Amino acid sequence: MSGNLAQAYAPLLIHLLVALGLSAILLILSSLIGQHRPTREKMQPYECGITPVGDAREPFDVKFYLVAMVFILFDVEAVFLYPWAYVFRELRWFGFTEMLLYILILLAGYVYLWKKGALDWNPSKTQRDRQT
Amino acid sequence: MFPPRQDVLRLMPEIILSLSGILLMLIEPFLSGARRTLIVTLAALGSGLALVSTIYPATLPGTAFSGLLRIDGFSVFVHVVVEAVAFLVIIGSADYLDREKIQHGEYYALVLFATVGMCVMAGAAELMTAFVGLETSSISTYILAGYRRDVPRSNESAMKYFLLGSFATAFFLYGIALLYGATGTTQLARMTFPTTPGRERLLDLGLGLMLVGLAFKIAAAPFQLWTPDVYEGAPTPVTALMASGPKAAAFALLLRILATVGAAGTFWFWALWVSAALTMFVGNLAAIAQSNVKRMLAYSSISHAGYILVALAAAAASDQVELGVAAVLYYLAVYALMKLGAFIFVSQLGGESERHMEIDDFRGLAVRQPVAAACFALFLLSLLGLPVTSGFLGKFYIFNAALASRLIWLAVLLAINTVIAAFYYLRVIVVMYMRQPNQTWPPAPMPWAVTFVLSIAAAGTFYLGLFPGRVMALATQAALSLPGR
Amino acid sequence: MNQTHILSWILFTPLIGAIVLLFVPRQLDNAQRVIGNVFGFLGLAVSLPLIWRFQIGTPGYQFRENYDWIPSIGAHYSLGIDGISFLLVMLTTILGAISILSSWSAIQNRKKEYYILFLLLQTGMLGVFMALDFFLFYLFWEVMLVPMYFLIGVWGSDRRLYAAIKFFLYTLAGSVLMLLAILALYYRAHEVAGAGAAYTFDIPTSLGAVPQFSTTLQRILFWGFFFAFAIKVPMFPFHTWLPDAHTEAPTAGSVILAGVLLKMGTYGFIRFSLPLLPTDAVARQHIINILMVLSVVGIIYGALVCLMQKDMKKLIAYSSVSHLGFCTLGIFALNPHGVSGSVIQQINHGISTGALFLIVGVLYERRHTRMISEYGGLSTPMPNFAAIYLIATLSSLGLPLLNGFIGEFTILSGVFQVSLRWTAWAVVGIVLGAAYLLWLYQRVMFGPVTNPMNEHLPDLNMREYATLVPLMLLAFWIGIYPKPLFRVLDVPVRQIVEQVNPGYYNSATAQRWGEKPPVAAANDAARTESDSTKALAASAPPAIIAASSEPIAVNTAEKR
Repeated sequence: MSGNLAQAYAPLLIHLLVALGLSAILLILSSLIGQHRPTREKMQPYECGITPVGDAREPFDVKFYLVAMVFILFDVEAVFLYPWAYVFRELRWFGFTEMLLYILILLAGYVYLWKKGALDWNPSKTQRDRQT
Repeated sequence: MFPPRQDVLRLMPEIILSLSGILLMLIEPFLSGARRTLIVTLAALGSGLALVSTIYPATLPGTAFSGLLRIDGFSVFVHVVVEAVAFLVIIGSADYLDREKIQHGEYYALVLFATVGMCVMAGAAELMTAFVGLETSSISTYILAGYRRDVPRSNESAMKYFLLGSFATAFFLYGIALLYGATGTTQLARMTFPTTPGRERLLDLGLGLMLVGLAFKIAAAPFQLWTPDVYEGAPTPVTALMASGPKAAAFALLLRILATVGAAGTFWFWALWVSAALTMFVGNLAAIAQSNVKRMLAYSSISHAGYILVALAAAAASDQVELGVAAVLYYLAVYALMKLGAFIFVSQLGGESERHMEIDDFRGLAVRQPVAAACFALFLLSLLGLPVTSGFLGKFYIFNAALASRLIWLAVLLAINTVIAAFYYLRVIVVMYMRQPNQTWPPAPMPWAVTFVLSIAAAGTFYLGLFPGRVMALATQAALSLPGR
Repeated sequence: MNQTHILSWILFTPLIGAIVLLFVPRQLDNAQRVIGNVFGFLGLAVSLPLIWRFQIGTPGYQFRENYDWIPSIGAHYSLGIDGISFLLVMLTTILGAISILSSWSAIQNRKKEYYILFLLLQTGMLGVFMALDFFLFYLFWEVMLVPMYFLIGVWGSDRRLYAAIKFFLYTLAGSVLMLLAILALYYRAHEVAGAGAAYTFDIPTSLGAVPQFSTTLQRILFWGFFFAFAIKVPMFPFHTWLPDAHTEAPTAGSVILAGVLLKMGTYGFIRFSLPLLPTDAVARQHIINILMVLSVVGIIYGALVCLMQKDMKKLIAYSSVSHLGFCTLGIFALNPHGVSGSVIQQINHGISTGALFLIVGVLYERRHTRMISEYGGLSTPMPNFAAIYLIATLSSLGLPLLNGFIGEFTILSGVFQVSLRWTAWAVVGIVLGAAYLLWLYQRVMFGPVTNPMNEHLPDLNMREYATLVPLMLLAFWIGIYPKPLFRVLDVPVRQIVEQVNPGYYNSATAQRWGEKPPVAAANDAARTESDSTKALAASAPPAIIAASSEPIAVNTAEKR
């Protein structure tokens, strides 16, 4: 049984090893062969070509996290649409209603976010109060 | 293709709970001003309706949604417990949230969603469904634990609960994966034997990992370390919910796996035995040292998990599974009521931002607030397990199951623990009744909603302590409705 | 079977009182007192009909009530009393009423809770003596713990918290073990009864199955029950909770503790431990030896410790250890004299020690101290008090014509049949008992009034007379004419002895002591029962006798 398993997954494993090996070799080679002339500017974090103005590890505004979270939520939910679309013809009305329910629940979440002001980048004072 | 109508009816409580949760979330942003009454009423109505609608699954037993759920007496029993807990917690929270100025609709919605998760766990006949239920209830409670977001303790509580909890669910998920590998199915009923010979070890490993995941949820030793911090930091009504609801659901899931998967009983038995003994001692001995009421109650709930594990071990050991299962179910109902009562009481007595949570703050409560003190004393005596209160009968049934399975030493350990536990419960009673009050703050108000919850819990404590017949019959029926090993 | 509900009425009258009190407003504290007392006496009043309705000589339990309670496990609400429990029930109701009355002025704060708890306690204790179902028995056994705990902890004196918790933990530890033993008995009895039998907690049925158990199990069960009872009695090494609890409790609490609560332990010994004694002779003798030694040690140790006490209440508390030692000694003599003497001694102890605690309470209310050294020469300001105190002292130390003598003498005659050595040791205890009680009396009452504060102490008031005089009358009555008590005890004690010591009635000792063998006794019982059955009883014996394999029994029966 285990032999079978190894056989079945062998190509995958080989693929993985080759990919890892290749990238490792390229990295090592470039650091060995390439020329290095470090200057102070070069060692600084890349900031669109401009001289950095402060420490990179600053606290971000919480709004960024909010947007990121909201994005992930709705993005991941959208993934479900692909398999659904694939079998949509077979599922017919059942599939349609199921997805309708699903979207409706998402919509409820969306309305909630909207009304809560999570989508406003610059919430007015009153909205901010209601948020807390 | 559409699921049969009865499947939908069987899922009625969950549907009602989810819909009312969503509804609350939707209307919350649109309301302003005097919204509290409406929100609380809606939430209470939702959980109450769910409770009533449990009649559908009760009259329509069977598997639903192509074997994902199994609606039987067992799941109905747990449903009722969990929904009743939600109902009481919702009513008991309103005044607390007002006092702490965190009255939001989301709170109730989260309680309802957590309850949906617990209900699903109770009815799950398939491991992925169980996992979804577990996660739904867990994630909602993570958020609820941190609901007092301006209080560092509450944040700590949520963080700890979230990190350790996700770790535990990962264990559980890994266990599912291994079980699937071993048996080729996630349907519990089909897992009776590993389909492929030579995979028994995989099965055992999977079962072990699942046990770890669930042991975390029920706060069984050695996975109980998070409990005191989380229970203490969370808003007290949430603690009431966590102590009674998710625990009941996790126990239900454990029981279902135990009863359905043949290998679980034999493989888990010693783990359950040791964990039961350990949990009782760890909980009780640590509780003695506590000076904070909430923390003491947290440790006490660890020890109670130990008591329930005794019954679980009894169910795993004997061929009379139903005796142990019925004992667990009865205790879950009993325990939910008394623990919920105790925590809700404490939430009100603690005063603004839960300042007065030390045992010494309860000094002379019997003089200051005699009725409230009597009520709390009742819950404590019931937790201790004195006759006439439900705690005694709960313990009695556990003893009964343990001895029927010949787990004499475990029963003796339970007896010893009862005496150890007396020590710290009595200390609170001593402080309340036998010391003179010296507080500078006014007596805590007892709003009618809290009074209502406490009276229900107290009445239930008496009822289950004096007339166990009907509920025990239901628990036995529930136990018999599980597919036998 | 027509069921009477008299036992339920006796049992629940105090409970009803407690519930009524619950609804009396807190401001009306005089009303609370009155209602508490009314229900205290009502509790006594409803128990009085038992005296004439109790049928002396009828074997088995009377006034039975039996209802299903928790059918799934076979627990019943099942009550009934025989001669032994009848006496203890009466003792409980009498002492209960008296104690509640004695609290009239002693309890000043939180009266409502006090009376509620006291009435609850009363129900709990009565239930223990009446229950014929293990489950019910255990329920009452544990329930009475809570009110007593509060009575000590809230209304006790300085070290009350310590005493209350100690009392609770000790008793709980014992009773949890007992619960396990009860369950073991429950399962095993079912197994013995066979697969078809229903599970039952019925006490006679369960205990009836015991002889068929293995010796090991019998031994385990015996010790399982033993600790609960030994702690309650208390027997020698388990007694340490008692001095604390008795000393720190309020007067009425001490009276009930000493008068009734301790009897729950001895009652348990008689009702459960005796039938649970292993049938195997060696194992049984082993256990009996241990218990006899513990009892004797308790008698002498208790008495010696009494001699050292500076605190009156503590002295009387330790005297209980000594006196209860006699009771257990009598029980494990396993013969009719020992057992019936023990029951009578239990009643006596309730009366005399109850009275002594009341007397200390009288002094405490006047002076708020229990130190012996604070008193002296009290007979001058309080002559009537001195007289009653003297009677109580003499009754407690066992002077003939007073109740203590009857009990102790009967026990000793029972023990004497078993062993001379134990009797001798026990007599030492009596002598020491006389010493400490009389010395206490002397130090408190005689001599000049040394402390000026004692010069003008008022003598007893009407209420105090009302609490003490009935007890004195009972003491005289039992001391002079104890026959009714012995008649009440005759049949149940005989049943127990026949069950646990079957060889006794046919043994030479029994003959020498004039004990009637069982058949003859049954005939006697039948004769006294009623006129209508007389003729039947007279004609029936020859038939039974003819079939009997015991010729000596025939002869004695015929001669009589």
